[in-house]
Amino acid sequence: MLNFEEELKKFQPSLEVEEAEESIYNHGLTDMTDILVEMMKERNSSSH
Amino acid sequence: MECFNCGALLTGKDFCEKCGVDVKIYKKIIKTSNTFYNEGLERASVRDLSGAVNSLKKSLELNKLNIDARNLLGLVYFEMGETVSALSEWVISKNCRSGNNEAGHYLSEVQSNASMLDTINQTIKKYNQALQYCKQDSRDLAAIQLKKVLSLNPKMVKGHQLLALLYIQEGKYDQAKKSLANAAKIDKNNTITLRYMREVEKQLKEQNPKKKKNDDLISYQSGNDTIIMPANFKDNTAGQTIINIIIGIALGVAIMVFLMLPNINQKAKSDANEALKAANDTISTKEQSIASLENKVEDLTKELETIKGDSKEAEAKLSSYENLLGAYSAFSSEDIDGAGDSLAKVKEEDLSGAAKGIYSDISGKVNEKYLATMYQEGYSAYTKGSWQEAIDKLSKVVEIEEDYQNGNAVYYLAQSYRRTEELEKAFAYYQIVVNTHPGTERARVAQSFINSNPNLVKPQDGGDAGENGENQEGQDNGQTPENPGENR
Repeated sequence: MLNFEEELKKFQPSLEVEEAEESIYNHGLTDMTDILVEMMKERNSSSH
Repeated sequence: MECFNCGALLTGKDFCEKCGVDVKIYKKIIKTSNTFYNEGLERASVRDLSGAVNSLKKSLELNKLNIDARNLLGLVYFEMGETVSALSEWVISKNCRSGNNEAGHYLSEVQSNASMLDTINQTIKKYNQALQYCKQDSRDLAAIQLKKVLSLNPKMVKGHQLLALLYIQEGKYDQAKKSLANAAKIDKNNTITLRYMREVEKQLKEQNPKKKKNDDLISYQSGNDTIIMPANFKDNTAGQTIINIIIGIALGVAIMVFLMLPNINQKAKSDANEALKAANDTISTKEQSIASLENKVEDLTKELETIKGDSKEAEAKLSSYENLLGAYSAFSSEDIDGAGDSLAKVKEEDLSGAAKGIYSDISGKVNEKYLATMYQEGYSAYTKGSWQEAIDKLSKVVEIEEDYQNGNAVYYLAQSYRRTEELEKAFAYYQIVVNTHPGTERARVAQSFINSNPNLVKPQDGGDAGENGENQEGQDNGQTPENPGENR
């Protein structure tokens, strides 16, 4: 049997149009390539 | 593919030929990102939108600059009713690559339609409100609100799912199943949908334990729907269709005959009765008018007759006055005959008082001369044997004064008539002589004539017979009983 309260918690409010800008700013844009570049930079700096 | 360090185009080697950086791992990351994009695309094409979202997110976690993956993610969000998320992805995509990017087209499509954007915003607000109602345990209000949301945006998967959850909570599993089916049409493999559906079917099975399979029914699965139909069910053949049409027409005609026609007839009758009443009213009105007009005609006819009578009377009066004037004029010029003739035509009753005085005055004078003249002329004609002239003259005299010259005028008139063989008239005048001058010679002669013509005798009071008229013949010849000149 489903737990209504628990299931309800899984439903999050939809973003309204006014909140779109904030959503974009808060969007996590770090990808694996960024991490790779970061790691390579760290390796190069530690080797020097 | 470009080098992440210097931006130079990479070749098939594991390092950048320009800057020498090792790109082996980078290449693998990019390939993996593309693999996830392909997977997302395949999932989206079979409406596994949740799976597509997961694949595309993984693709973007590996390579945020995978523009196709980001644009497709936006499209999938848009299809699921997550419009703001879709817009966010497209905006980011547009910022990553401004030129040759479909995201620009999508954004302009949405932004150009202000009403659609407004509707989307309203839908989102209502959904959030419904979610708030749910959290406040106002499930009825939430259900109403969600129905509004889904009528505005039927593709909102979250809305269908939340509504289904509410139905499940209320124990309305059939309705919950419908909502979940609607959600599944948009997003087939959504884990929430599938989980709720499983729960719903479980509950439905508990509520409706399996019935004995009816041999007359055939059931089969069509997608998510279970179709149950009679085993001996057949589609209508063309013949059956025609028979059904004929039966339908017959029923229609029967309804027409039994239900509508009586009303139509009744209405027609009532209309005809009303028309008849109106016509009768019109006829009675016309008859009254005709009677009135006939009365008027009658009155006018009477009036006309009266006027005509008056006119004749006036003409008669006028004639009398004219004759009176003519008599006066003739009398003034000593034309006694003319005056007498004119006076004879005057009717005294047509004259007024003054005119009557004039009439009596003139007639007195005229008659005296006129009678003398007429008598003289008449007698002269009589003696000459001009019987007809004598009759004409003496008739005028007798007409005015019957007893003129002591009855001589009437006597000679009778004699003249006897000569002209007008015995009846002669008899009448002889009778006057006998009656007015009994005992005279003339009366004796008259009596003898009467006696000699017994077929003309009329009953008389005290009339005696006397001698016959033959003796009188001799006396008449050359002898007059009295001299007319002497009487003058």
